Amino acid sequence: MAASLRNAGITGLLSALARTGSFCSSTGYRSLHVTAVCCKNRAARIRVGKGDNPLVYEQAIHPHHIGHRKGWLSQNTSNLRGEDGAAQRTVEDMFIRKFMFGTFHGCLANEIVIKRRGNLLVVCALVLQRFSPLRFYFLIGYSESLLSHFYKCPVKLEIQTLQQKAVYKYL
Amino acid sequence: MYFQGPKPCLSHTKYNVTRCHLPLKASTSYFHTATVFKSTPSLITVTEEPDTLFQKVSILVKCHDRAVLDSYELFATMAANELGITISKVYEPPKAIDRLTLLKSIHIFKKHRVQYEMRTHYRCIELSHLTGCTAQAYLEYVQRNLPEGVAMEVTKVQSTALLTYSK
Repeated sequence: MAASLRNAGITGLLSALARTGSFCSSTGYRSLHVTAVCCKNRAARIRVGKGDNPLVYEQAIHPHHIGHRKGWLSQNTSNLRGEDGAAQRTVEDMFIRKFMFGTFHGCLANEIVIKRRGNLLVVCALVLQRFSPLRFYFLIGYSESLLSHFYKCPVKLEIQTLQQKAVYKYL
Repeated sequence: MYFQGPKPCLSHTKYNVTRCHLPLKASTSYFHTATVFKSTPSLITVTEEPDTLFQKVSILVKCHDRAVLDSYELFATMAANELGITISKVYEPPKAIDRLTLLKSIHIFKKHRVQYEMRTHYRCIELSHLTGCTAQAYLEYVQRNLPEGVAMEVTKVQSTALLTYSK
């Protein structure tokens, strides 16, 4: 809630609160506006910590760098001007991410990239080598057939495996 | 799995032919296909009716990423040059930005908002004076290789013979 105080002479209070507010001085009065702390952006940002939290490139770069230092995680035409179906594609993407997170539990090294080419749905994932290749092949086939039956379109999974997560920096 | 066909040999022939029959893979689900696009063999048909003529075929591609459009334009112009299609002009219409202003917090704090924008970049390739068959083949090739996240709008201007009413 915004609260504005008008003080004629109490400078101690003003200097203590000068960081959070802004004040204008005219005609000898000083007014102070103090707003609740809702100024900083917290979306898709991991806060700086002690230095032991490993971050992947995707997590380390903030969302205002999308298009400049970062790419897009879900690539489809629904958000272009003059194209429709944005809500349906978003819901499908959310379901696919949850599904992949659950199927390859603890194995995903990075966020999943979803691409749509015509009717084809391509799900690209980076996976850690925690299980045997046989188990991975089964999970890939299972996800492909289940998702293609669910969405009535051909679904392809493109999996790449890593030994461990590709750490970009530690925060 | 591979098979060895008969080797080219002379008149006295005694060759070994080993063939392995691949087990027929029964596809259990209709949607899990090995190949992306099942190419049916295209039959070239010769008909008596004259081909349609297009004065101009204009392809407008849109995307969120300008670099993707750059590479796609290179690909489409190379394909057109290889096929011998005249490209009249390739230009970039100005980008369109859609902006949204939403409340930053889920409850109260009306003064703090978040703004999002969606940028749509365009590229227009205009081809002139081509036949219907050429246009169909070129458009099919170029559309099959559309990258993800790219939308295309095709405008064709057909030229027809002048209608004469006097008999």
